Amino acid sequence: MNEIKLGQYVHGNSLIHLLDPRTKIICCILAVIGILSNHNFWYLLFLLGLILTGIKCSGIPFSSFWRSMRGIRYLLLITFLFQAVLTQGEAVFQLGALSVTQEGLMIGLINLLRLVILFLGSIILLMTTTPMKLSAGLEFLLLPLNKIKIPVQYFTTIISISFRFIPTLVEESITIKDAQRSRGAHFDSPKILTNLKSYLAILIPLLASSLLRAEDLAEAMDSRCYTGNPNQYRMRNLKYKAVDIYLIIFMAVALLVGLVIT
Amino acid sequence: MSKIIDIKDLSYVYLPGSPYEQQALKNINISLNQGELLGLFGGNGSGKSTLAKLLNGLIYPTGGQVTVCGIDTNIKELRHDLWKKVGLVFQYPEQQIFESNVYDEVAYGPRNLGLSESEVKTRVFEALDRVGIFPDSMVNLSPVKLSGGVRRRIAIAGILALEPEVLVLDEPMAGLDPLGQNLMLEIIKARQEKKTQTTIIISHNLKDILALADKIAILERGALVFHGEVQELLSKIDILSQFRLELPDYLQVAYALNARGIKPNNDIKNINEAGLELIRIISGGKGKL
Amino acid sequence: MNGHGIQLINVGKEFKNPDSYKAALTNINLTIHEGEYIGILGLNQSGKSTLARLLNGLLKPSLGRILVNGMDVDSSEQIREIRQLLGIVFQNPDNQLICPVVEEEIAFGPENLGLSPSEVNKRVSWALEIVGMQDMRYHAPHLLSGGQKQKVALASVLAMEPSYLVLDEPTSMLDPVSRWEILEHLRKINKENHITIILISHNPEDLLDANRLIVLHEGFIYMQGTPREVYADMEKLTAIGLKPPGLYQLIQQLEEEGYGIDDNTSTIPQLVEKICQK
Repeated sequence: MNEIKLGQYVHGNSLIHLLDPRTKIICCILAVIGILSNHNFWYLLFLLGLILTGIKCSGIPFSSFWRSMRGIRYLLLITFLFQAVLTQGEAVFQLGALSVTQEGLMIGLINLLRLVILFLGSIILLMTTTPMKLSAGLEFLLLPLNKIKIPVQYFTTIISISFRFIPTLVEESITIKDAQRSRGAHFDSPKILTNLKSYLAILIPLLASSLLRAEDLAEAMDSRCYTGNPNQYRMRNLKYKAVDIYLIIFMAVALLVGLVIT
Repeated sequence: MSKIIDIKDLSYVYLPGSPYEQQALKNINISLNQGELLGLFGGNGSGKSTLAKLLNGLIYPTGGQVTVCGIDTNIKELRHDLWKKVGLVFQYPEQQIFESNVYDEVAYGPRNLGLSESEVKTRVFEALDRVGIFPDSMVNLSPVKLSGGVRRRIAIAGILALEPEVLVLDEPMAGLDPLGQNLMLEIIKARQEKKTQTTIIISHNLKDILALADKIAILERGALVFHGEVQELLSKIDILSQFRLELPDYLQVAYALNARGIKPNNDIKNINEAGLELIRIISGGKGKL
Repeated sequence: MNGHGIQLINVGKEFKNPDSYKAALTNINLTIHEGEYIGILGLNQSGKSTLARLLNGLLKPSLGRILVNGMDVDSSEQIREIRQLLGIVFQNPDNQLICPVVEEEIAFGPENLGLSPSEVNKRVSWALEIVGMQDMRYHAPHLLSGGQKQKVALASVLAMEPSYLVLDEPTSMLDPVSRWEILEHLRKINKENHITIILISHNPEDLLDANRLIVLHEGFIYMQGTPREVYADMEKLTAIGLKPPGLYQLIQQLEEEGYGIDDNTSTIPQLVEKICQK
């Protein structure tokens, strides 16, 4: 019984939900290439506009994105301030010994935009794609790496097992925390050392049970003939529709145009 | 006898006001005297574990009143000290062990009470003794290397060392083999014999509870469907027959006979008496053979 | 292949590390025929879990041979075939589910056998239906109750279409109702699907449906026979800390008073029927 966690899947039937997971992953990657290769302010604003349109289409309220943004607000602020202060150029005003420059403000703003785009892009991917579809999409896209002897299927197995066990671990840690509180553990003591010891009292049992669980899982997987072959069944539901193709072409063109502008 | 637990019109709602709002407990009234053993029975989602957390101040009532050892849990300043009065043993407590030796594990709670090290030592040794572990040979061992049943008893000792006035055990028998279950029964019975210590056992297994408890409370989807003495429950066939699968074999036989118009004696207390009763019935109900 | 069934010939297992939770086995000779329902009863450390893990090659015997349908479990070439033939359901419902969605969990085994997606799909539907969990197909395992998880674990092994199903304490972490449901499924799977059941438990009441009961104690076969035969020997059972189920204690008490209860009485309604007839 917890509130919706950062990036947790929210069920829906919107256009964004129904896109093939591969499309969403590819678009995210294209957007990342876009923001890394280009520092034109207007181009970044255009990409942000695209993502906001995506959020609008997904039917998930802006407020839940806004709330998750609050989690990284200090990161954003620090990035902006550092750039504003540390960049050489024409001073706009003085902050003690430091001068805030016009160039700094611009670069700061651009980097802020980049982070926001990166963050919102990955959050919308996670919030509109079930773990099952996400791992199927990843597995499919990574599959060609098998040809150069990179054991992709192991990574996807790890991803899949993580999706399976993260909720269980969260639940378990809540129970252990309650149990240790019942023995008088303090988690909000003014003494850092006391808090540290209390958190160890959660971490150690959690680690021990995870090791045991890993052993059990390995036996269960072996017993069911785990071979590490790509999961065809998981990928069977992947189907490109026209809208997927259009979206990927659109994003690719947008990226190219962006590159040309620079 | 003094009332040690008094629950009045208790209700509890998870995440009130959110879309995940869920009523876990409604209108619960339970009272328990010092020295009694209450068996709290219910299935998945009955709210029995929520009730346990309410008793030692891990969560607070959203309606009604819970008074434990004279402390009203609605009074903010007091509820932080509830853990000293109410010892809560969670399900599979052996999974919460974290110290590198048995002594430190059991001493963790008493040390948090701020006791002197010599007092801590006395408590650790007493608590281990009470769970049937011979302290001198065990205190330096690493809990990791011990079997599941022994680890569970160490975890319980860790709570007993707090010397709580009320001990709450959540599914103490789960996963233990018959030997482990017998040891657990003995630990609980020894506590019961002292007559001053109050115990609550939470279980989805009516059999375990029937054999131990003075009073029984049955929860179903957050509502209390029975609260009273064991003998009273045994006479309520309409309630018990809902839990047919959870009754001891001899009661199942007795109720099945009852349903077919053969009325066995109502106060059968154990399987031996049940056997004698069956013999009496077969021999034509003529009393003694 | 020479014949069907499972044979254990002079099997022994020792562990080098004495701290290990795993218990040794000594001189186990056992033949299990196809279609049987075998109950294996024993306390912790009796070696029953070791036995389960020997049967599908998760552990190797230190001595002796184990044959499944004539194939030696020790040979690595046939281990995949053996594991398809002999599925295991483990004790902890949480620690044997691998996938984030029920459907994928059940597809995991068939997928590893290299079956086509359509065949896998067919088996997923079939296995879910057997355990009555069709509605939960797209659920995440962590949202299910312990009993539901264990049913998913059972379905995921059934989807491999095994001939033998080994269950290592499948009910010890479940509530009585879920426990009864699992036992009911096993009874049905044995009768209707003709799958051999080897049910391992420390709870004598779990094993009433077995047609043969083997009691393990400290790594040896301590008793063997029908449940009625084994549970009639109260003295021998209590000597190692086990107690016959209440039903058999009652039958025993009646028999001692000279009221014979015939041998095929193995459920409470049957006993009640017998009493009413007298």
